[in-house]
Amino acid sequence: MSAYFGVKVEDIFATMPERFRPEGAEGISASYGYNIHGEGKWKLTVKDGKMKIGKADDLSGCATVTTTDGETFVGINLGKVDAMKAFSSGKFKVEGDFGALAKTAKMFRKYIPPQKEMSTREYILDMFATLEKRFQPKKAEGLDVTVGYDIGGEDGGKWTAVIRKGECLLKEGILGTPTVTLKVQSAADWVALMLGKIDALSLLSAGKAAITGEAPLALKLGEIFAPYVPPGEKAKEPEQELIVLRKTISVNQRFATGPVMGKFLNGLKEKKILANQCPQCKRLQLPPREVCAVCRVEATQWVEVGPKGHLAVNEIVYYASPDPLTGETRETPYGSIHVLLDGCKGNETFTHLLRPDQIFKVKETWQEEKGSRLRPVWAERRTGSIHDIKFFELDE
Amino acid sequence: MAHRKKNRNVAIVGIGQTRYSSHREDVNQPEMIQEAVRLALKDAGISIADVDCVVHGNMELFEMIHQPDLWHMLGTGAYGKNAFRITTGGTTGTTIVAAGDNLVASGLYDVAMIIGFEKLQEGHTTGGITNMADPLWFRNLMTGALTGTTASATIKEFGEERAKRAAMMMRVIMDKHAGLNPNAHRSFGLDFGQIPDLMENSPKLVGELRLIHMCSQSDGACVLILADEEKAKKISRKPVWIRDHITVHREESFNVFGDEPVEMTHHFAARHLFERNRITKPLEYFDVFEMYDPSAWWGLDWLREFFLLEGDEHLKLVENKEIMIGGKIPLNPSGGVIASNPIGATALVRVAEAALQIRGDAGAHQIPKPVKHALASGFGGTIWTVLFILEKELTGWGERK
Repeated sequence: MSAYFGVKVEDIFATMPERFRPEGAEGISASYGYNIHGEGKWKLTVKDGKMKIGKADDLSGCATVTTTDGETFVGINLGKVDAMKAFSSGKFKVEGDFGALAKTAKMFRKYIPPQKEMSTREYILDMFATLEKRFQPKKAEGLDVTVGYDIGGEDGGKWTAVIRKGECLLKEGILGTPTVTLKVQSAADWVALMLGKIDALSLLSAGKAAITGEAPLALKLGEIFAPYVPPGEKAKEPEQELIVLRKTISVNQRFATGPVMGKFLNGLKEKKILANQCPQCKRLQLPPREVCAVCRVEATQWVEVGPKGHLAVNEIVYYASPDPLTGETRETPYGSIHVLLDGCKGNETFTHLLRPDQIFKVKETWQEEKGSRLRPVWAERRTGSIHDIKFFELDE
Repeated sequence: MAHRKKNRNVAIVGIGQTRYSSHREDVNQPEMIQEAVRLALKDAGISIADVDCVVHGNMELFEMIHQPDLWHMLGTGAYGKNAFRITTGGTTGTTIVAAGDNLVASGLYDVAMIIGFEKLQEGHTTGGITNMADPLWFRNLMTGALTGTTASATIKEFGEERAKRAAMMMRVIMDKHAGLNPNAHRSFGLDFGQIPDLMENSPKLVGELRLIHMCSQSDGACVLILADEEKAKKISRKPVWIRDHITVHREESFNVFGDEPVEMTHHFAARHLFERNRITKPLEYFDVFEMYDPSAWWGLDWLREFFLLEGDEHLKLVENKEIMIGGKIPLNPSGGVIASNPIGATALVRVAEAALQIRGDAGAHQIPKPVKHALASGFGGTIWTVLFILEKELTGWGERK
């Protein structure tokens, strides 16, 4: 069988099951015949949202029979031949209900010819062979660094890019300790990353890639090197530049504390931790609240608790989240803790921070076993804020 | 809790979802919403003229746009219609379905369009979440939605090796499900063989909560069309019935009194919802569960809460892969929140995906056996729960005389 535009007639029919869209065939129950000169006859049957395709000698009983030649048939399917023109010129003939045939267009997704795939190894070699060419000296001004590439697996390899005085030289192997090294377990993942099919964070999250050395430099590599374009393809140029507007909202705010929270904050100035108690369920609220939300009554009684207590929960935070009230990124890791202060019970814990150098030295409460004994460390100058307590530390 | 039978039955008759992605710089907010609106209307076989009211929801703190529904009217088609804007944190997506169900069941409207969206790349997610905490005290200590307490408690209860393995097994199963969902934002192609490596080497966020356990930040929109019984039967061949829903809140802040309260809102919600619907064995009754699972540790722990399980039953469900598509109780065939998380739409996607399973229209991630009863949950705000029961048939609970 011959190929037209690189595609055989058989390819079009053989891929029909995978291109079939049941939603496009709703309510249709019919057979369609195809007589392709010099290639053979096929019969398509559609019923109950299902389809069957196969070679057939007998096309009787079909709602339509399409007669054409291989080139026209493939050409129309690929969009290379204008169907109306072929129809008008008689190259494409339809017997039977033309309307029924038109419906088949909705039943199938367009045929897309498979492209000749490069192997992973071919991609890897091409990607590194073009690295020096893709270097953008303007984006690397003043840089004197080395970038190690450690691509794992049989298709992988090791390279080092030496970037210096606005030039880039690629060497085989890892030279010394590069400024930053990108290690990827599988060469296929590196190819997918370079082709934009997967993002770096996904690989890092999944433990399939790692960055050692100066991580910020790794983030700049996307600028230092132009994107990889496989051979024979043109760099994609968007129809128009997609513009993203950048804004920063910065708002000065003032929050009134009210008398209840105010009393608690004033207590801190005198190194006192005050809780208030629900007159009905007797639970302590720390920090105090105006009412007990559960009993819906005013919490009027005040009780001084602590200041020492037992550690209930110690959350070791590694993620560098910004302090929402200052915008400054916190030092990590830090310990965000719940302490059960003396005089409190059950869930009446108090939330604060742990002394940074002790976060791995403490023990949490578990069932009957009490956690480490802690005490607050007070700030020299106290203003009635959460920072009047710097943090809690081991009481030893 | 006061609860009355519905005035009218309400069905989901149209579902539309955009693809979920980390970057939708090709469209602005109304354009992105419009994609899902158009798909939902097409799915329902109606036009915007047939829609009586529009319910719009997202988390304003994320994009910092107040009254976003005004701008979005370009994409929602709500001009001249009765429109409502609702925001309740992570639960928003389910709260808007609850509101839509109430609006249609009441008889005030016959057709309601429910729109959930988020474009998280346009703001700062952790910054937004932190601003939910009270500014007088707890906001200073907030770490966004990240917490390692569930990991810590699970490890203490079941031992380090078993707990960490079960959480990572949950994570890999969700990733495998996401791989079958063309709309999913993330699927890494994880395999069970990677579990020991990921348990030790994925970067830590808080305690034993690691980067791989945590949900994504996505852009995307989801739209449902709801209709009353009469209209639904007229226009839809496969209406999915909203049998019941419940909303349970805790106190006003993330951490007023430290440690977890006695009964979690998920457990409270499930207990009450099942009781009033006379469902005594939820694990046997439901064919699928679309859970709002912000992390693998929570997904693991919450199986116990929602199905009212005891001891290590929830761990066994995961260890024996009973939560996989094809298992006893498939959990998140869509890949769940860990895979796609456009927050204002996230809970809505749970309801939408549960409904697709009942219709048999979920595509590659369709459960291979008939799905008659589905459970879908929303989570967010300050440990809040919204829980939905969806049904394929009205028989046995929704017949009208």
